[in-house]
Amino acid sequence: MKIEVCEVNKSFKQQQVLNQISLTIEGGRIFCLLGASGSGKTTLLRIMMGAIPADDGSVTIGGITVPNRQLLAEMGYMPQNEALYEELSAWQNLKFFAGLQRLNPKTFAAEAEALLQIVDMTACKNKLVRDCSGGMKKRISLAVALIHKPKLLVLDEPTVGVDPVLRRKIWHYLRQLRNEGTTIVVTTHVMDEVTQCDDAALLRNGHIIARDTVKNLIDQTPDGNIEELFFIDNLSEAEASLC
Amino acid sequence: MLSIVKRILGQMKNDKRSLGLLLFAPLLVLTLLFFILSNSNYVPKLAVYDMNEKFVAELENYATVIEETEKPEAADYLEANDVDALIWTDSEGTHIELLEKNSKSVAALESIQDTNKALHPTQNELIIDYVYESVGDNQLDSLSFVFLGVISFFFVFILSGMSFVRERFGQTLERMLMTPIRRVDVIGGYTLGYGILAAVQSVVIILYAVYVLQLQVEGSVALCTLVMILMAFSAVSVGALVSIFANNELQLVQFIPVIIIPQIFFSGLILTPIYYGCTALEMIMIQGKGFFAIWPWLAGSVVFIGVLFLANVTALKKYRRL
Repeated sequence: MKIEVCEVNKSFKQQQVLNQISLTIEGGRIFCLLGASGSGKTTLLRIMMGAIPADDGSVTIGGITVPNRQLLAEMGYMPQNEALYEELSAWQNLKFFAGLQRLNPKTFAAEAEALLQIVDMTACKNKLVRDCSGGMKKRISLAVALIHKPKLLVLDEPTVGVDPVLRRKIWHYLRQLRNEGTTIVVTTHVMDEVTQCDDAALLRNGHIIARDTVKNLIDQTPDGNIEELFFIDNLSEAEASLC
Repeated sequence: MLSIVKRILGQMKNDKRSLGLLLFAPLLVLTLLFFILSNSNYVPKLAVYDMNEKFVAELENYATVIEETEKPEAADYLEANDVDALIWTDSEGTHIELLEKNSKSVAALESIQDTNKALHPTQNELIIDYVYESVGDNQLDSLSFVFLGVISFFFVFILSGMSFVRERFGQTLERMLMTPIRRVDVIGGYTLGYGILAAVQSVVIILYAVYVLQLQVEGSVALCTLVMILMAFSAVSVGALVSIFANNELQLVQFIPVIIIPQIFFSGLILTPIYYGCTALEMIMIQGKGFFAIWPWLAGSVVFIGVLFLANVTALKKYRRL
């Protein structure tokens, strides 16, 4: 599903968070939104999904203007914090969100089993979320976002607090989903994860300072380190000193 | 909507302490209140003058009776001798003179009523007079039904308000709204889910009050339960609405004095669910009225729940525009 963000502005309490953002995300690719904390990544994601309205500008997903309720059925969202029900088990959380998505209860069990296998949570599926570790919650949260097989997957910092072995497994699965045609939008501030994605945009102080395929972006840097992109115009440090 | 109801019940099932607090804390509070407010074993002290012997003999089964040979001056006599009521007859009927309305005078009147019942009374009219006529109703006994309503309202309000605040700050609300669910279904599921819990609580409270604490209910207990359930539903809605104005759990608690306490004192706030509920409860429990007498109050509660429901559905727009 192609996402088009068109001249979006957003401010909170007179502070401009997003400034004239225009962005096209091609369908069937893993797109990475890269930026320091506080650069407006989550705000942009929320506007893209229609959770909050933009001050000006518009967003369309697959040609449909956001917000749209039918669109939400094809979208899986994993927020930055876990956003799970602590008093429920992993299984019950999955079941609840599957219910909201109106999944067929008959096929639910098999699908949930398969999904828990991928995030390596089969053994503790009946454990209450409040007794789970941070990494486990993250995995359950990912499973919840995937339960209805969305065509568009929006993940806000999906691999924070996940160990390297599982991280590799998750990326492997995400690539597999992309190969099946799912569009995936990921935010991260961990630079080395960018290499796992197809395209990336760099967000700084509410502006997009670079947007290209990851391969091209890396080629632009002198030493293949994508972090260098943030310093490419030498503006970063000047802006940082303003704060 | 059903998913949300199931989820809420599942959450409660896994959270035994909250469930226990919901069901048993009101009972504990009620029990304490009833110990403070009622002297159920109190034997009233009555003075009689010129009453027939059969009446006096029967009355002695229920109260301590002093027979006077001369008719005393009621006010001074009652106060000086610590007697609860003075009874005499004349051509008008049977006079009962009491000091003031309180739990002792209620006990005194009850003993006289019991006597009359046992004797299959003559058509003698009972003329009840109070030395000190208090303004309005008898305070202690009229409070019993207020407490019934308020206690259940209070616990349900906190429960639903808190869980809504927690949903918002745990971002589960946002996540829930990022599915194709309708706002009406979110609020409907919430109201129904917590409403069911609240209804169970109401039933437990009323059964406990009537059968364990032996609270006098003149009218139908089932009707009382219905009123309590309606109150509980409005408590869920009020809790959800207030939580929108609270930025964290602490602020929700701070809202309690603003929302609940004025309602308890009925201070001119006619448009409050507790007012509707308590008035209906009073009519059933004290005056023994039936459904047809109290339906305007029930209708008031239902309208209130409906208005709050719509307000909540609209307020949810803050989190998703659709």
